[in-house]
Amino acid sequence: MNNLPKLILWFLILLFVQAFIFDPILLGTTYAPFVYVLLLVFLPNNWPSWLVLLGGFFIGFCIDFIFFSGGIHTAACTLIAFSRPLLIRAVFSETMAPENLKVEQESFINLLRYVILVIVVHHFVVFVFVVGNTDRIRWFLNAWLINSLLTISAVALILLLTRNSKR
Amino acid sequence: MQKLLNSILRNRTLLLFILLFGLSLRFIAKNHDYQRSSFTAFNNAVTSPFFKARHNIISFLKHQKNNEQLVAENQFLLSQLITKNNKKFLLDSVPFNVIPAQVIHNSIQLKHNRLTLNKGGKNGVKKEMGVITATGVVGVVNNINTQTSGVISLLNKSLRVNAKLKKSNHFGSLYWDGKAPNTMVLSDVPLEAKVTIGDTVVTGGMSAIFPAEIPLGVISATEVPVNDNYYDLRVSLFQDMTNLSQVYLVHFPSADLIKEMINDDE
Repeated sequence: MNNLPKLILWFLILLFVQAFIFDPILLGTTYAPFVYVLLLVFLPNNWPSWLVLLGGFFIGFCIDFIFFSGGIHTAACTLIAFSRPLLIRAVFSETMAPENLKVEQESFINLLRYVILVIVVHHFVVFVFVVGNTDRIRWFLNAWLINSLLTISAVALILLLTRNSKR
Repeated sequence: MQKLLNSILRNRTLLLFILLFGLSLRFIAKNHDYQRSSFTAFNNAVTSPFFKARHNIISFLKHQKNNEQLVAENQFLLSQLITKNNKKFLLDSVPFNVIPAQVIHNSIQLKHNRLTLNKGGKNGVKKEMGVITATGVVGVVNNINTQTSGVISLLNKSLRVNAKLKKSNHFGSLYWDGKAPNTMVLSDVPLEAKVTIGDTVVTGGMSAIFPAEIPLGVISATEVPVNDNYYDLRVSLFQDMTNLSQVYLVHFPSADLIKEMINDDE
């Protein structure tokens, strides 16, 4: 994801999809996938780290604005943007420099592993802030698991579709 | 000095992260404060056109179902209105003013939940109007603009509703403890009241927001805190807060008068 117009297009599309399709109230379900997390994966790896941080913050802020969730997604996205080099090294290889990762060139399985890690960490932070105390642990685990699974399947589907159309 | 500058430059990512993360924590803290809702009011004004557009598409698809519900609830409200007029509850003969509205945005996962309705100042909505459905209370209007209005949901830890036991008229205060979206807590009911599981709880009418006798739910568990003269009752709501669609805004006809009287007393 190296060219900016493409990134902005992805940003608009995913934000639209998040607000107009994957909204729990709209779908009539308790949970809905947070497909916008894919944007955090698409932030260019050759950007300086402070720019990635600001990007993550901005994405989270937009989502909070749409969902009236005041800061929860902002916190989670900022954390993901900050820990990105760590996450990349955890999935790919210890010696890999994060800026060498090309999202478009990686194999689907490797990319999916990376995306799953990002989603699981992101949702953990989100639901920790949603719950906020220790007496709803079962609800928290439940929400974390189900929502992560939903997001992973939705994101995997999006990746699969867009990658095929490119070739 | 040089060293300090160098270390700041070296750790700029970490510092920026701490700054941004702290900022988002501040957003979270601020959002959980009812008094400082200016951010949500601005938020409401900016995002509500989008939700309104989205709602138009969906309501087109669910047209038939909504209409049926509308008729049923209107019927209920009319009958309520007549019974209420027959009781001597009102200070004068002005009937309750009821405005139908649709929920266009609703949250249930947070501890301080909010809703957005598709009726605003243009339709006669005022601040501190009560929001009800046929089967219970939904919330209180807390900010309005011309087209839409923002509502503090019943599932909001800062909202307390005056409620009473239907059979014995004992009063209490109904609030949400932040746990399951279908159960609330009724506190301050004196031990003299004979409470059994399954008793109906209705609104008390001791406020200028909600009229009396709106059904709220049934008691699902009773508990007496140690060394206390009051019950803590668990109430399971009739109204499913997770799938709200058609709601009604109620304007208490003598609200201003009552508020004036309360202020005079203080």
